[in-house]
Amino acid sequence: MGRPDGRVSRRTFLQGTAAAAAFAIVPRNVLGGPGQSPPSETLAAALIGCGGQGGEDLESYITNAGGRYRLLAACDVDKGRLAQARKKFGDQVEPYTDFRRLLERQDIDVVSIATPPHWHALLCIAAAQAGKDILCEKPMTRFIAEGRAVVTACKRYGRVFQIGTSGRFGAYKSDLGRRIHKIMRSGLLKRCPAVHVHKGGFPVRGYCGLVNARPEPVPGHLDWDLYCGPSPLRPYHPHRFGGSHRNYWDYEGGSLADFAQHYMDPLQWTYGKDDTSPVEIDSCAAPQHPEACGLWAWAELTYADGFTIVLDGNEWGPRYDRKPPRRLELSDLDKESRKKVEAMPDPEPPRSFVEAVKTRREAGGHVEAAHRAVTLAHLANISIRLGRKIRYDPVKEEIVGDEAANRLVYQPMREPWHL
Amino acid sequence: MPTTEELKALVAQVPDPDPNGTYVNLDDAKIGRIRQVVGDLHKGGRDAVVGLIDMLAEPGQGNDVKPHFALHLLAVHVTGLGDDKARAQFALAVASQVGSDRPKGVRKYLIQELGLAGGREVVETLGQALLDADLCDDAARALAAIRDGAAEQFLAALPKVQGRSRLSLIKKLGVLCCAKAADAFKQALGDEDADVRIAAAWGIARIADASAADALLAAADRREGWERFNETDACFALAEGLLAAGRKAEAAAIYTHLGKTRTAPSERHVREAAERAGAAAK
Repeated sequence: MGRPDGRVSRRTFLQGTAAAAAFAIVPRNVLGGPGQSPPSETLAAALIGCGGQGGEDLESYITNAGGRYRLLAACDVDKGRLAQARKKFGDQVEPYTDFRRLLERQDIDVVSIATPPHWHALLCIAAAQAGKDILCEKPMTRFIAEGRAVVTACKRYGRVFQIGTSGRFGAYKSDLGRRIHKIMRSGLLKRCPAVHVHKGGFPVRGYCGLVNARPEPVPGHLDWDLYCGPSPLRPYHPHRFGGSHRNYWDYEGGSLADFAQHYMDPLQWTYGKDDTSPVEIDSCAAPQHPEACGLWAWAELTYADGFTIVLDGNEWGPRYDRKPPRRLELSDLDKESRKKVEAMPDPEPPRSFVEAVKTRREAGGHVEAAHRAVTLAHLANISIRLGRKIRYDPVKEEIVGDEAANRLVYQPMREPWHL
Repeated sequence: MPTTEELKALVAQVPDPDPNGTYVNLDDAKIGRIRQVVGDLHKGGRDAVVGLIDMLAEPGQGNDVKPHFALHLLAVHVTGLGDDKARAQFALAVASQVGSDRPKGVRKYLIQELGLAGGREVVETLGQALLDADLCDDAARALAAIRDGAAEQFLAALPKVQGRSRLSLIKKLGVLCCAKAADAFKQALGDEDADVRIAAAWGIARIADASAADALLAAADRREGWERFNETDACFALAEGLLAAGRKAEAAAIYTHLGKTRTAPSERHVREAAERAGAAAK
């Protein structure tokens, strides 16, 4: 472990170099990159967050994409989980309870972030500052301003980012998906009449938080202060940790935050919305508790061109019935425009994380797209939390004319953390 | 103006959570009842708000589920009326209890709700709370959310606090891009606490203080590991701020320095970032 003042101790350095040498892993940050020697074929990886999804993204986005990785380090605020991770991944995995020390290691190429979402943005930013490429579990962030800060950091340091959802890779393979994408990207459509209703797939009731949780002693294996991190330091309760953290605004944002990025990622690519966000958001929900996520029925998000997305929980409350689902068709264009769209080449396929790391180009689930996708969930949740319609400026990334709503776009963090 | 008993009866109409302790049991009738309660509480004015606060308890020290929920819903309600006077009246009523001898957990909750519904009218109250080490971070977050008039409170409190509170205030002055904090940032850049130094570096970047560029670069050069990442990042942010202000030469000097000094293989990404940004800045 490093020293409290942030320096890397000789012991840590030797451990790091020994681990790298033992497995003949040459970090890409030494050999790889444009204009340099051919990169090592094996990525040196680290995992931050060893709970449920810990390690899944490394398999999904490296192994399944034909790449190889070797896990050299793992970090968790729960020593029990850390020990389990070591058992699962092998003794070469150096355990850390403080991610800052892990990121100081110079032999790591890729960091896989699988903590609860209130940590995602800060960890992504820190990883980018440390020169690591990033696999980040969904949802990418806990609130909107975090996403912009992650985009800035990744771009500043030229880091490859892949969000932990792969829907757009499937959307690209679909003839219909590519056709709609071309129509939208052609610029020939004045107004988009499409209405996409995503019904179900949100365990609304199961993601409601406790409103009467009585504080309990913090277990000895858990660093509760570091777990809370940038979020308010609440009294410990086991329901705020270990999966059910999703049921609290402090850490995630209920079923909508947990699942919407999966559903919206392919849709956003298909409809060419990777660089923008809706302008009007309305919802139907029960009154929301300040800390515990609650019941919601649906959220309607409308873009400036009229394209409408509906997230219908299909579990509680009235079903959405304002607009019928409506797909975009070539026939929505005039004859001349149709010909132009049909003559357009297919868009570039989304690049796998492995290829993106090798070529230093953008991965399919890149940082801006991921930010815009999770923004949909955040906007829906802001409307749900306040029980009213909101208007959004997708360029300034601010709510228009609703100060309280804007305070949910950017939420000041607890010390010592900041965006 | 409801009596205490009437207020208790009103709050009692807020539905109980289900046996598991969640509000999965809400239906149209219960939601209608909640809305009625919130409307009646709003009509009750300041006395109703203070009465509601009287029912709050320190976490784990009593059952305050209903008034806790009701106070928040009232805060949300007043922010959605389009009536700033009504919002401010609510906020002042809540603020009047922040400095009381109520349990710290209750006062933290009140501060949290002021972070949602408060405005300039409550910044002095929150400024006082900055001086209480137990409340400082909560109050600082609420003030940073309110923004309007907050910087003056941070500046006034800064000489009076120490430790984590001081860190809180320096960080939030950065959040607010407070140019008046320039000297405080420069001084804190040499603090013995690494977190304070990082906060100061970030603050300098946020206010795009060109006069601190050399000190910031020198500080970042001296550091290692986590602190070096952060202070180097602040150098980039400062350069970007200077560029945005049209001060190209000063920004370019920062990029040149970073490009020349980050020569280790482990800092290749920094060097390349500086070279890219420097080229773009020309």
